Amino acid sequence: MAVQIVMDTTGDSRHEFNAADAVEVGKAAQRFKQLTEAGFTAAVRTGNGRSKIIHNFDADAEETVFFPRLQGG
Amino acid sequence: MDDLLFGLAFNALTLFCGLFVVLLSGLLGNPQGQVFAQRGKAEQRAYTLLKGWLSPEQIAQLERHGYFEVRGSHSDKRYRIRSNRNMNIDELDGEGSRVAVWCFGPAGYLPLADNMLAQKIALETDEQAALAVANHSWPELRRGRYLQSNLPNERAPLSRW
Repeated sequence: MAVQIVMDTTGDSRHEFNAADAVEVGKAAQRFKQLTEAGFTAAVRTGNGRSKIIHNFDADAEETVFFPRLQGG
Repeated sequence: MDDLLFGLAFNALTLFCGLFVVLLSGLLGNPQGQVFAQRGKAEQRAYTLLKGWLSPEQIAQLERHGYFEVRGSHSDKRYRIRSNRNMNIDELDGEGSRVAVWCFGPAGYLPLADNMLAQKIALETDEQAALAVANHSWPELRRGRYLQSNLPNERAPLSRW
């Protein structure tokens, strides 16, 4: 199962989906679109502590993290 | 007169302590108290997530020192992300000395570890965009200016402040 992890006040909200199920993948793609359009940044792990930002939904990504828009602290 | 003042002060202190106990017990028994408990769980979830995205070296640094280091994606500079909420990113020079302090993070209130993970990802993948929104200061330069400006018969150097 792949998972989309959205950072929030509870730590995170997790949305699992089966990458082999077209309906679930469609919902995950829709969630990706909604979050990124709302200003969230999406990132995936690439191994050994490395990561990359993605701008398009990747159904093969095992774990995608979303965090809110950055601002000065 | 002194006895009267002492008595008044004692009564006021007793009343204050009583109110504090009542407020504290009410806080722990109502939903607001539960919010604090939930916040602890949120921090733990965020910390677990953070460790899943760190390299073994970064995990070791975090557990040993309460910070971990990353490399900027554009400049290859070293940054130390400390376990603090504000002004918690140190820019380091080649010798590991702090040359600037940066502060940015995701909008809204997130657990500290989520904040640190977002900072790590941002610096390692899009350093310029992250620093473009960040606030920063140069604490060591400030200290240098302060020391120099307090030397006798020395003019304070022109500064950017």
